[in-house]
Amino acid sequence: MINLLFFGRLGDLAKDAPTCIASLEPDTTPLGIRQMMKADHPELSKALSEPQVLVSVNKMIVKWDEPLFEGDELAFLPPVTGG
Amino acid sequence: MNDLVCVQADDFSLSDEYQRLRNINGQVGAIVTFCGLVRDFESSAGEPKSKKLVNYLTLQHYPGMTETLLDDIVMQAKARWDLVAVTVIHRIGNLAPNDQIVFVGVASEHRKEAFDAAQFLMDYLKTKATFWKKLTGEGAEQWLDAKSSDSDAAAKWSEDSHD
Repeated sequence: MINLLFFGRLGDLAKDAPTCIASLEPDTTPLGIRQMMKADHPELSKALSEPQVLVSVNKMIVKWDEPLFEGDELAFLPPVTGG
Repeated sequence: MNDLVCVQADDFSLSDEYQRLRNINGQVGAIVTFCGLVRDFESSAGEPKSKKLVNYLTLQHYPGMTETLLDDIVMQAKARWDLVAVTVIHRIGNLAPNDQIVFVGVASEHRKEAFDAAQFLMDYLKTKATFWKKLTGEGAEQWLDAKSSDSDAAAKWSEDSHD
């Protein structure tokens, strides 16, 4: 299983989106998961495709084609606005 | 360990944080502190000239990742300048206008390191640490957009030569 987290404005768009992926196909990537959202959550998928959105796996920033493994925590991070 | 990194809902005391840095050791010859506050008006997304009344800001963060990123930013500052101690405190949750959001304090032997490092810490914190602000005001909610002036300020540190 992979847990999914959506922060900032992405969290509002992801209210009806899955919070986890129960069965992981081999070679699944964050990009693959984003594309999976396209059919059921087009608005979220579009927001995730914005170039400023970053992805992290287990709290480390990774590339969109990073392979995912069982137990990973995948988070989608819009541009940060702290301070 | 002289450094302190904290993400908390509670307010902080400038005087307590200053005294902590002041009393670390006898090598402290300069302390620079910065405190960020919530403004009562904010520019809305895509309309920098129109300002929106702020009832409160909600500060969200990514627990676990934020602390790691802040630790890393402090380590980068310490690698770059000779510093005695650093404090970074960032608040989360609902904050009203005039509330304190963020504190950065730097203690060093001489003032230049403390001034430069405090600026660097704020520039990096604003563009790299996983915090997000939502504005509630005039009956509506909206997530604030990142400002390009902040990313420009952070980018400048990677162009600058090492002091």
